[in-house]
Amino acid sequence: MAVELPVRAIAPPARPSGRMDRIRWTLVDGRTVVWRNLMQLKSQPGELVGAIIFPAIMVVLFGYVFGSAIKVPGGGNYREYLMPGLFAMTALTSLMTTMLAVATDASKGVMDRFRSMPMARSAVPFGQVGGDILIGVVGLVAMVGCGYAVGWRIHHGILSALAAFGLLILLRYALSWAGVLFGLLVKNEETADQMLPLVFPLSMLSNSFVPTAGMPAWLRVISDWNPVSAVVAACRGLFGNPGVPAGHVALPLQHPVVATLLWSTVLLAVFAPLAIRRYRTANR
Amino acid sequence: MSELAASRTLTDSLTMAGRALRLTRRQLDALLTSLMMPILLMLVFVYLFGGAIQTGSKYVTYVVPGVLLLCAGFGSATTAVSVAGDLTGGIIDRFRSMDVSGTAVLNGHVVASAVRNLASTVIVFGVAFLIGFRPHAGPAAWLAAIGVLLAFILAISWLAAAVGVLARSAEAAGGFTFFIMFVPYASSAFVPIDTMPSWLHGFAQNQPVTPVIETLRGLLLDQPVGDSPWQALAWCGGILVASIALAAVLFRRRTA
Repeated sequence: MAVELPVRAIAPPARPSGRMDRIRWTLVDGRTVVWRNLMQLKSQPGELVGAIIFPAIMVVLFGYVFGSAIKVPGGGNYREYLMPGLFAMTALTSLMTTMLAVATDASKGVMDRFRSMPMARSAVPFGQVGGDILIGVVGLVAMVGCGYAVGWRIHHGILSALAAFGLLILLRYALSWAGVLFGLLVKNEETADQMLPLVFPLSMLSNSFVPTAGMPAWLRVISDWNPVSAVVAACRGLFGNPGVPAGHVALPLQHPVVATLLWSTVLLAVFAPLAIRRYRTANR
Repeated sequence: MSELAASRTLTDSLTMAGRALRLTRRQLDALLTSLMMPILLMLVFVYLFGGAIQTGSKYVTYVVPGVLLLCAGFGSATTAVSVAGDLTGGIIDRFRSMDVSGTAVLNGHVVASAVRNLASTVIVFGVAFLIGFRPHAGPAAWLAAIGVLLAFILAISWLAAAVGVLARSAEAAGGFTFFIMFVPYASSAFVPIDTMPSWLHGFAQNQPVTPVIETLRGLLLDQPVGDSPWQALAWCGGILVASIALAAVLFRRRTA
């Protein structure tokens, strides 16, 4: 004869009511999601290796194979000119990696599980972005090591350098939010995978690898107004590397630090609320 | 008897080539990638980087021969994946039960690869012409250029087939793309070798892609080619013979 055990209902923890409580709740849950994303790297180390190896290949390819045939405006070492562009390129990869990670989670039903849990709604996108930033910092450190190995140097002191790295991380943070939104929109690993190559023109259509002066006029306009060009020009100026635009140049390149801050703020203001909203209403 | 066997192998090979081409039609994403990537790279190099790279001539004129070889590289990657897919998917056992000769399967993949590569080469030529590439070759030079290109396509296709047989999965065979992609970069495809650092000279000068590119460039632009054509044909012949032998041995071992 089967014995029926009393079923005890477990009430979910009460939603925090105060504003500060809600922020604390989001931060704690967000930290858990960040930790979960970092733990995943143990089972998928290829992601981290890829984030380090690909830029290293680009250093060799552009720095040595093509670089010797490229003239830097105002003279100077091409590899010093190149490195800020590659730093920006690693920041740009966050758009792809975050989109792929979010789309994978969405397609496997992980997002639905998170939604069914008593956790802060905005914690999941915040956690995804936070995890990406930490991975990005590791990638950036590796890139700096690569840069030093090939002769790139910081010429304007540690504070300027920290400001440059801060701008790169800020842009990465803003682009990560775009990645979260696109990942939630495509909801499909395969589609996200096929969209990855579309991001590369963003880094190519800029001053990352070559001066925009040699481009056709219509392409130069696009390149000069690309947010990547602004952050690259800002970093070159702050690091004291060659290739800082002089003379008659587009407005964002006249004030690249301000332009980068503006671009990052605009991207954040647009994509962060949209990503959180999309996550909250995804299954409605 | 051997004549009959040869005729049957030829018929089987053509049937398998038809099958491989039909499969290509169903894998549109792979087909579009192998067609579009070389064009995209050509446009990126001509319009974005071309203005900054010093080659001593109009950059589009300089870069097209290298892009033609990239076409073959991308196309051959599809071949490696298809061969590996056949070997892991169990279709080979079906063919063997129908008494299809083993070499016919590989021949079919290679013929299909050559057809795909020639088609993509024609498209790249068309786009190159639209963006300002103007060859100065006479009829004999054109024929010679097509011959060298065809030799390279066959060599790289057989190499891809051998890699496909060697690989344990289609994904592993796909990794071949990555390697093939980077060989033409460290050659005279995009920048003159003498602008590269001295430690790269040796590799760039003596790798198989460089003489093929120099031959194509010389023939299409009516420039002296020196002994590049002989080096190119020697490389292509060597790769072709080694790849056919390797593919045959590995195929027999895997399907035994």
